[in-house]
Amino acid sequence: MAATSRIRKKGGFFRWGALTPLVLAMAFLIPVLCLQIYLTLHQWTAYLGPWWTANFVGLDLFLEVVTEERFLAALARSFVFAGLSTLLSVLLGFGLAFLLQKPFRGRSLYYMLFIIPMLTVPVVIGFTFQMLLYQQGPINQILSFFVPGEIRISWLGEPIPAFATMVLIEVWNWTPFVMIIMLAGLVSMPKDPVEAARVLGASRWQIFAHVTLPLLKPVLVLAIILRFLEALAEFPKFWAITQGGPGTFTETIPVYLYLTAWDYLNVSKAAAMSYVVLLLVGTIIYFAIRTLLRQKRSLDVMFAKAGG
Amino acid sequence: MQRGTKRKFGSVIRYALLSIWLIISTFPIYWMVSTAFKLPEQWFTWPPTWFPTPPTVENFAIVWAGYGMFAPRPGFAFPSISLDPLYALGNSAFIAGSATLLSVTIGLLLAYGVSRYKILPEHRMFNLLMLRMMPPIVIAIPLVIWYSTLKLLDTWHGMIIIYTITTIPYAVWMTKSFIDEVPEEMEQAAQLLGASKLRAFVTIVVPLIRSGVVATCMFILILTWSEYLLGLVMTAANAQTLPVQLSKFEGTQEGRLYGLQSALSVGVTIPLIIIGLLIHKHLVRGFSFGMIRRQ
Repeated sequence: MAATSRIRKKGGFFRWGALTPLVLAMAFLIPVLCLQIYLTLHQWTAYLGPWWTANFVGLDLFLEVVTEERFLAALARSFVFAGLSTLLSVLLGFGLAFLLQKPFRGRSLYYMLFIIPMLTVPVVIGFTFQMLLYQQGPINQILSFFVPGEIRISWLGEPIPAFATMVLIEVWNWTPFVMIIMLAGLVSMPKDPVEAARVLGASRWQIFAHVTLPLLKPVLVLAIILRFLEALAEFPKFWAITQGGPGTFTETIPVYLYLTAWDYLNVSKAAAMSYVVLLLVGTIIYFAIRTLLRQKRSLDVMFAKAGG
Repeated sequence: MQRGTKRKFGSVIRYALLSIWLIISTFPIYWMVSTAFKLPEQWFTWPPTWFPTPPTVENFAIVWAGYGMFAPRPGFAFPSISLDPLYALGNSAFIAGSATLLSVTIGLLLAYGVSRYKILPEHRMFNLLMLRMMPPIVIAIPLVIWYSTLKLLDTWHGMIIIYTITTIPYAVWMTKSFIDEVPEEMEQAAQLLGASKLRAFVTIVVPLIRSGVVATCMFILILTWSEYLLGLVMTAANAQTLPVQLSKFEGTQEGRLYGLQSALSVGVTIPLIIIGLLIHKHLVRGFSFGMIRRQ
């Protein structure tokens, strides 16, 4: 009786009912991490036998990977891609949120239409942009309209345009994400400080830089962190559009990992690479989560009355 | 007077800027939908065909109703690899639907336990986000080997398991943000009147957050339906999902089948866009793990 009431106090059904699936999920994933480490230490060739017969090679693969130029280039490219696309979509998304901040006629229609890119299936985005960017496609036609002569840019055939195009597609895809987050922040932001600054005679720019921006900082930080990490992980659009080409000019980490494991069938090397990425991105995520946790407190205060 | 004109000017600028972005953000979708209605001879013209004249549903018929049903026209090239979008649609619906229900159920219980009974400290549960932020490709390789060892590759239940696990962080945090809005006093009152904890939860909390739970389900459905990478590496003929099928279509030897691919794309993505627009109020909550809410 005493035991039952103690369990009840701690949540009873909810305690085991909720934690069991969680523990099971973790138990299901632990062997995956062990396999990950096993594969980085062993050279396994998929068609020569089952994985447990692989040769132990120690840290050879690991060293091979971290000194490989192609891997390091892909890593750098991933970070440039994530950084650039985050920067652009934050600027654009913030701008759009500002334009949508005050009520006006047609506001919710704009809002609804603006979030469509974010809801589109990534593979479909990839395929659709292939059609648009086709040399005789509509984008070149629209550009030809503004410039004398016919434009026939091969968007995906040249290194720099291809990479820039991928960044812009990512921006097109995820600007709405930043927009909805910033808009929610702007709407829920306390109004009194802005009003007070206006009464005291601050200019618009001063109000923005010294009042609005600090108030929105938690929201902004959240948008940047989530966007950056998602962009680092982006795979479907790359795979559908360029598959890393031309050459390796749009080859980011997910693409190179996929190619190594599923095209070159070098599973062990790919595992070693993903282990390096796991450590690197894991560190970033660790700090990201700590930052988010810190911002979450101020966000909870900010949105405490906003719900419902 | 001057103030009035200035305001009017500002309003014109705003509409102009918003309309420019409107064109940019919806044009690709328009192009996809219109191409789906184009006849084969309009797929590659220069200048490109902007309006399908006359619009045809042939692409949809071929893609969604089976190749043999309509007599092939000259100019249509048929992919030689076996593709069955309807079967993939069934797969996707079953896998995404089941994973969604499981994930939201688990998430709801977990969120309630954390919110009311502190079964886990909040910061500990925050670490769940790690599961979501890690690029999936990083664990894809050992995961596939683990799956093949367990004989789970290319099975429905295998896909349901992995999609459930990867969406739990979203489900927990999104439902928790709804639960936190329900005053605890209501359940305490019910418990004083003799209701059990579970009963208080089922009869008081769940009805109050019903629309939130539906929104969470739809949000998770969007995530699982559009997932590509894990579907690509973990399914083949049996459990292939719709996005994977679409990408296989692109890789066919016969060259580009713009109209057919567009017809397929429309079927893959338009339902999701509709679902997303239905829950547009709650999207921000979902994507920000419940940290940001919209009024």
